[in-house]
Amino acid sequence: MSRTRKLGYAIAAFYLVGVVLLAVLFGVTQHKNTVFQIQNEFKLTSWVHLGVLSINRAVLYLFLAAICTVVTMVYIARRMQTRPNRVQTAVEVIYGLMRDNIAHGNMSDEMAAKWFPFIGALFLFIWYSNLIGYLPLPTNSEETFNVFGAHIPSFALYAATANVSVPLILALVVFLSFNIEGVRAHGPLGYLKSLIPAGVKGPMLLLIFPLELVSTFMRLISLTVRLFANILAGHMIILFMAGGLAVILGLQFLGWFTMPAGVAIYLFELGLIATLQAFIFATLSAIYLGTAVSHH
Amino acid sequence: MLTHIISFAAAATGLGPGLAIGIGGGLGAVGAGVGIGFIFGKVIEAVTRQPEMRDEITSIQWLGFALTEACFFYGLVAGLIGYVLK
Repeated sequence: MSRTRKLGYAIAAFYLVGVVLLAVLFGVTQHKNTVFQIQNEFKLTSWVHLGVLSINRAVLYLFLAAICTVVTMVYIARRMQTRPNRVQTAVEVIYGLMRDNIAHGNMSDEMAAKWFPFIGALFLFIWYSNLIGYLPLPTNSEETFNVFGAHIPSFALYAATANVSVPLILALVVFLSFNIEGVRAHGPLGYLKSLIPAGVKGPMLLLIFPLELVSTFMRLISLTVRLFANILAGHMIILFMAGGLAVILGLQFLGWFTMPAGVAIYLFELGLIATLQAFIFATLSAIYLGTAVSHH
Repeated sequence: MLTHIISFAAAATGLGPGLAIGIGGGLGAVGAGVGIGFIFGKVIEAVTRQPEMRDEITSIQWLGFALTEACFFYGLVAGLIGYVLK
């Protein structure tokens, strides 16, 4: 038997023995507990009370994402050399992706030149917002731990985009942008006329036009819900699989049993979904901007 | 008629909120599963035909995957709204 196979069997045996041991030691009866509330994991407690502009952990994450975005582009750009190091190469690859694939691939050249900074900033901001959400930072003020007498908020996974307001505002900005661009290109009546596909006349207009209007508003809803629900669902599954379910049901062996699923979902989200959702948001924004000004 | 019976039964037994999430998530997952499987199947076919187009097709594949996956989340959010509204 090869070494890898032996290692695989050892890990599987460790896992099964752990499940059985915990089931035997602590029993399999449920002890439903109501102390642990899932909502508290996503609760926003104000650290600095300024009314509507209070500083809470979502605001901190937004600032972190913004700083990362600015540093990536401005700081790296100021330090460019002819023979790039690894960091510069990575930033250049991302820049190439944003400019050629997302902006120029979905909009006409003049629109892409005008709107590329916006699309690029959108992509980087959402990407960093999603990625930072998988970094444990001390932000959970509900459960503090004691270090030399100071109450430090405990480490928690939280993403700014897991709150519906952040994707909503970003989607609103995109929605306003492409509508204003459409009105600017076609005039207000011309823009409404451009919503209707070619060759539709007469009574069909009465059916088609409201549908097209609704589908335009649906773009706002879909942009918001897609980003929000993806990130929120990912965080909740990680929460449940990595121990939340075991705590709620009071079953110790269940925590051990579902932990690999929690790790797998964490890696899946970190590696794929975070980047993909940012890419999708930016690409769809570029598509909406491009089609709003296009003359059929 | 059937919907009246179902909604009355759901309200009477107090199953309403759970049923909302279950149906919302379940049906959403069916649609998304079919759609995503279809997309990746088509990508496999296309790359088999023209291996040199792989990168371009992969880029479109991720776009299609995310759009289809979003439909599952619409269903889930609808179910959650039903859960909250009881």
